[in-house]
Amino acid sequence: MRSVSLYHHLLCFSLLLVTHLTSVSSWKRDEFRNCNQTPFCKRARSRKPGSCSLIAADVSISDGDLTAKLIPPNPENPEDQSPINPLILTISVYQDGVLRLKIDEDPSFDPPKKRFEVPDVIVPEFLEKKLWLQRLSEEVIGTDSGPSSVVYLLDEYEAVLRHDPFEVFVRGKGGKRVLSLNSNGLFDFEQLRVKKEGEDWEERFRGHTDTRPYGPQSISFDVSFYGADFVYGIPEHATSLALKPTSGPGVEESEPYRLFNLDVFEYIHESPFGIYGSIPVMISHGKARGTSGFFWLNAAEMQIDVLGSGWDAESGIALPSDQSQIDTLWMSEAGVVDAFFFVGPGPKDVVRQYTSVTGTPAMPQFFATAYHQCRWNYRDEEDVAQVDSKFDEHDIPYDVLWLDIEHTDGKRYFTWDRVLFPHPEEMQNKLAAKGRHMVTIVDPHIKRDESFHLHKEATQKGYYVKDATGKDYDGWCWPGSSSYPDMLNPEIRSWWADKFLLENYVGSTPSLYIWNDMNEPSVFNGPESNFVCVRMACRGVLMRVRLSFRRCEWLRRVHFMVLRQAKKAEPEGNEPITGLVGVREGLCSETLAEQAAQFRVEKKTRRPVVVFNRDSLAKKSRGISHLIGEEEELVDAVGMRNLEEFQLKEWVKTKMTVTMPRDALHIGGVEHRELHNAYGYYFHMATADGLVKRGDGKVRPFVLSRAIFPGSQRHGAIWTGDNTAEWEQLRVSVPMILTLGLTGITFSGADVGGFFGNPGPELLVRWYQLGAYYPFFRAHAHHDTKRREPWLFGERNTELMKEAIHIRYALLPYFYTLFREANTTGVPVMRPLWMEFPADEATFSNDEAFMVGSSLLVQGVFTERAKHASVYLPSGQSWYYLNSGTAYKGGRTHKMEVSEESIPAFQRAGTIIPRKDRFRRSSTQMENDPYTLVIALNSTQEAEGELYIDDGKSFEFAKGAYIHRRFVFSNGKLTSSNTSPSASGKSRFSSDCVIERIILLGYSPGSKSALIEPANQKAEIELGPLYLRNGRSPTVVTIRKPNVRIADNWTIQVL
Amino acid sequence: MKLRLTFLFFLLALIGRSASVPSKDLLGIAPQDEIYYKASSWGTIKCRDGSMKFTKSQLNDDFCDCPDGTDEPGTSACPNGKFYCRNAGHAPLSIYSSRVNDDCCDGSDEYNGNVKCSNTCWEAGKFAREKLKKKIATYQGGVTLRKKEIEQAKLTIAKDEAELSKLKNEEKILKELVQQLKEHKEQIEKAEEKERLQKEKEETEKKEAEEAQREKSKSMEEVASQGQPVESANHDKIGLLEDSPSDQDMGEQSTDSVAEVEHTDNSGNEDVPNNEEQEDDAKKEEESPVAYESGPDSVSKEPKSLSKEELGRLVASRWTGENTGEQTREVDAVKDDKPEISKAPTDAHDEEYEGYDSETEDDSQRYNDDDDEEEERTEDFGEENHDDFSSSYKSVSDDELNLSEAAHVRKEYDDSSSKLSKIQSRISSLTKKLNHDFGPEKEFYSFYDKCFEIKQSKYVYKICPFKQASQEEGHSTTRLG
Repeated sequence: MRSVSLYHHLLCFSLLLVTHLTSVSSWKRDEFRNCNQTPFCKRARSRKPGSCSLIAADVSISDGDLTAKLIPPNPENPEDQSPINPLILTISVYQDGVLRLKIDEDPSFDPPKKRFEVPDVIVPEFLEKKLWLQRLSEEVIGTDSGPSSVVYLLDEYEAVLRHDPFEVFVRGKGGKRVLSLNSNGLFDFEQLRVKKEGEDWEERFRGHTDTRPYGPQSISFDVSFYGADFVYGIPEHATSLALKPTSGPGVEESEPYRLFNLDVFEYIHESPFGIYGSIPVMISHGKARGTSGFFWLNAAEMQIDVLGSGWDAESGIALPSDQSQIDTLWMSEAGVVDAFFFVGPGPKDVVRQYTSVTGTPAMPQFFATAYHQCRWNYRDEEDVAQVDSKFDEHDIPYDVLWLDIEHTDGKRYFTWDRVLFPHPEEMQNKLAAKGRHMVTIVDPHIKRDESFHLHKEATQKGYYVKDATGKDYDGWCWPGSSSYPDMLNPEIRSWWADKFLLENYVGSTPSLYIWNDMNEPSVFNGPESNFVCVRMACRGVLMRVRLSFRRCEWLRRVHFMVLRQAKKAEPEGNEPITGLVGVREGLCSETLAEQAAQFRVEKKTRRPVVVFNRDSLAKKSRGISHLIGEEEELVDAVGMRNLEEFQLKEWVKTKMTVTMPRDALHIGGVEHRELHNAYGYYFHMATADGLVKRGDGKVRPFVLSRAIFPGSQRHGAIWTGDNTAEWEQLRVSVPMILTLGLTGITFSGADVGGFFGNPGPELLVRWYQLGAYYPFFRAHAHHDTKRREPWLFGERNTELMKEAIHIRYALLPYFYTLFREANTTGVPVMRPLWMEFPADEATFSNDEAFMVGSSLLVQGVFTERAKHASVYLPSGQSWYYLNSGTAYKGGRTHKMEVSEESIPAFQRAGTIIPRKDRFRRSSTQMENDPYTLVIALNSTQEAEGELYIDDGKSFEFAKGAYIHRRFVFSNGKLTSSNTSPSASGKSRFSSDCVIERIILLGYSPGSKSALIEPANQKAEIELGPLYLRNGRSPTVVTIRKPNVRIADNWTIQVL
Repeated sequence: MKLRLTFLFFLLALIGRSASVPSKDLLGIAPQDEIYYKASSWGTIKCRDGSMKFTKSQLNDDFCDCPDGTDEPGTSACPNGKFYCRNAGHAPLSIYSSRVNDDCCDGSDEYNGNVKCSNTCWEAGKFAREKLKKKIATYQGGVTLRKKEIEQAKLTIAKDEAELSKLKNEEKILKELVQQLKEHKEQIEKAEEKERLQKEKEETEKKEAEEAQREKSKSMEEVASQGQPVESANHDKIGLLEDSPSDQDMGEQSTDSVAEVEHTDNSGNEDVPNNEEQEDDAKKEEESPVAYESGPDSVSKEPKSLSKEELGRLVASRWTGENTGEQTREVDAVKDDKPEISKAPTDAHDEEYEGYDSETEDDSQRYNDDDDEEEERTEDFGEENHDDFSSSYKSVSDDELNLSEAAHVRKEYDDSSSKLSKIQSRISSLTKKLNHDFGPEKEFYSFYDKCFEIKQSKYVYKICPFKQASQEEGHSTTRLG
């Protein structure tokens, strides 16, 4: 036990917690830029409906596209001081009901700069699907005075460009609108201009100045979804699945959904503020019309309003609508209009259409779909070996052990702390011997250290993002002063990818995979901030300051705690405020505090300044030096080799920052503001490419990323970032993952247990029980939390967590089949109920339950000591409760009793789920184990299902090396057939696996045997256990040991 | 299936030379459990948990009939099964069914041929045996060592005990001596005290006279008749009130705040003309000490005419610093009075005082805003100082005639008591040591006062058996529980 200051530590932490809890939601909101502080957003929101008067002129077909010019009604108005140049509008049509609309400035008018279009997001195959338009027809719609141009889209769908005022919409059968743009006349396009004298384009936000050298260049427009009951999508937000209106009558705090990738410290649920990722894709769904989707390919900051019905009541404009509709307002700071309309009409159609544009999710390696064990940090090799052996000791399977930032040498990625990890290869090989893998973290910030080869090379080659003055941008992150490779540049991405080759990444082995964190990019001293600090109190009131434990290394060492304040919490007037800054673990001792540093707010600038007293620190810290490190280390960590003062740039509300300045420069003079949301995407892409290179193009990569953008699904998994060990965060994980799945990103999950804070055993167990159904299933924990590996909470809880993990392992064949489905169709593994039951209105806003594939329904338990759970089972079929095998009627809400043992889960009648019931230490050890098929019969005694298998590792599946079976049960006969009978590929995959057990749910017992054809053998039928677990299991009709090969065609007739 | 069996037999033939060959049916069954399966071999066998039944042909048929795994001890079919590894050449082991056909050391659980397992048991067994041998050797070595330690301990304990009894005798003798000396000393001190009081009184009177003169010379225009008596009365009063005055006063004051002490000094200096005057006075004093001797009597009669309020104000003025010059001078005067005798001790005192001052200054700079620690520190210093201060002061006021004898007695007393306390502390440490639990045969006796260190990566762990354990990293030390 550490006797030093433990008491203080505890005391202050409890204080900190108390003050923290009471204040989070109230001030969190203030930390980020809201719409009113964001000029483009404020301007766009203040526009009145119908204020856009642009008309479409010169409409024609050219190069297979419909093109037009958008011009003001009186272009020759001499009194207009800044004449509006015409905009070029292009409409293209692609197969399967995708309409693309582009609007940009006319290059012939020589705008000061080419606007940024996001490259490398649209897959090349999509462009090949373009339909070359041959002709357009003109008609006058309704009571319009002018004509509209109409082009064919798909079957009964047509795209319409109304000329005056300009409007684009898609209409379906009978002329019914599906979705439209600029129906409310809110379109606005700020064209690039040359700065006039005396004009001030700069923008200031909390002490940071954005030079905005190109002036205002934002774009905004309205999009309407017809026949829609709800809209969904636009992740990433910690909000409900069905998006709530952000503006209009009855909306109290009117703040649009923001899409701006930020490293948000302890994000809160039910907040429209942007977090780590941005996917500007919205999907509407309604009982009347079905589903449609809209995607705006734009990487600048975006704000989106969902307008509640009646929002435009004041304007008095009668809209051509005879059906329910949802209007939305889209605003972006820069870029062009490059928008896609998806006609649906079903939910899976929209997802397929969208993923045809940005690509379907990559096929993960088999091991990646199993359970991952992570913590910041597994300390050293001994710790790793210990954790690994504990899993074996408790017979709990796991597949991947993760190493966070502490494994590196001073946060220099691609290096190892050789004291803690002297034999990284040996360590990985030991895991690999049990079929397990390891993941290490590689972040985009590169330590500015001349002796670090990566930094030296990047500097010499000019590979870093530049600041507004053209110098290498120098930001602050884990390692201290850092720079960021310009991932927009394909050459730099290729250079980065090479760093993952085994010969370049010293200490790596082929069983090592990668985790990309902080790629929003996270910059601690950039312009937008986040966290910092709650109040700390030891004596008296303190400042609202709490610096993140996670953000900066130096913060953990000399943890800024403002211990005492001369005045009050908020600085008022010009009086200087002084306070003391504490060393974290010695927080309560003011002596220590002041030895470390002093804190004051400058009188003039009102900037908080922290003054480190190095001498006194060195002299006085002997007793606590093990807590804060030696002087050298401290100074180094703080980055103050020559500085006595370290300025905390933003404080009170803003404090620390999260990302790069908007005027930072990328290749080709692209401003960071234009591509911000895509930076992490390119980084993720480069890393995944690196692992492909490492495997000589033969091995599928695995890279987990935190930042996301459309197309991220092609590069790997993502997780929902730094959540908290709270029940509400467990609850919000479901809509977050569902939303990601709707917008193409299926391989996602939330940190099981919650990253920040310590979950109680019950919450942890519930999280495992839910997390076992997340597509990406990883437990993770913050540095300062207590250890929480599954065996640390008593025998009973260990058993419960083990059981949850076992359920996942048993279902791996089903999950893997679903990943393949996502890989081919884009349809996510984890789906909202309405995706499977689009006509069942009761499911539309349900985000506490979800479907895993089309066969499993899972209901989360989100409250402590829950005895019951209300579960809505969609209509049409009955549902078999997984625990008992008994059937429940669909179309109603059941009040289910819940025990600590599991959360409610049901198999839909009419489905067949493949399982592997034998337990192994890791998924790779299950390769040769036999299957169990669980057939849940519907009212007509029928069912069907699929099973996909491949080698789980290589890209050979893309050449046809896989087994994809289809199982159909009807008339008492189970038939296995090949779903891809042609087997066109050259490559083949074979498996000797057999089916050892077939369970029939909903089948009346009586039969004694079954006949297997073509082998002409008999198999016994008996009552067997539903589950192979300790304790009594319900018995079900079981075909015993049919032992048919999974790869073959066969039938089994129940006699 | 056939192929697999053939392979199995082949494999069994290979490994089965020394161990008894388990049949397919008995695969994975621990020898003590074989009876469970045999006893019921007529028809069906019950699952151990009683949930199901299975036939003998279903035993180890690679299909799980019992959720608890009873029917599949030799396969991986039941998730809850346990496989008994015979591990010929090594210790037998029970493993989870999740390892069957995975990798157990003797290869007997890897019979399906998917995994090529080499029989590592002989090697592992050899290794284990050697390890065991080493362990035995270590233990034997330990036993020898222990014997040695016990012998050693016996000798040491005997030695320590002898010392203890000797010391106890000495203590007794010394105690008596100390008691005698103490009595003698107290007598002397009483006498001294009496004399000192007498002398002080004289001195005060002398001072007052001097003060009166000073006042006179300073404020010629002032109404002399009033000023003079007031001053003198004041001093007289203080002298009576405080008895053993300024030394204690100084000590206490310094406990309040070092800054105040400094302040006092400074404020004395602020009044520059006044100060000079004082110095002048002091000089005069030195030159003609006798001249003042007649003064006191006349002055001491006057104080009755002073009002209470005035008295209060005067007393208060001491804290406001108006008067501090006199205090300083008082000390100076004393020093000057007896230069030959008191020179050495006074100098020491002064030096210490200065040292104290400067350190305080230093400290108060360092601690600037931190009152707590400062206070603590100051208290420490204050107390120490107080002691020295008073003793040196006392020596100053010793009577000349008595001095040599008194000093002698005092010195003897001091020496003896310090010797006594030394002996006592040695006795107590020895007693403590002897009372420790050093194991049944006192084999750990020599570990007392010994420390062991071990280095683990960047930490150095230090264990001192009868004291503390710690973890050191660089210069820092963490005490471990």
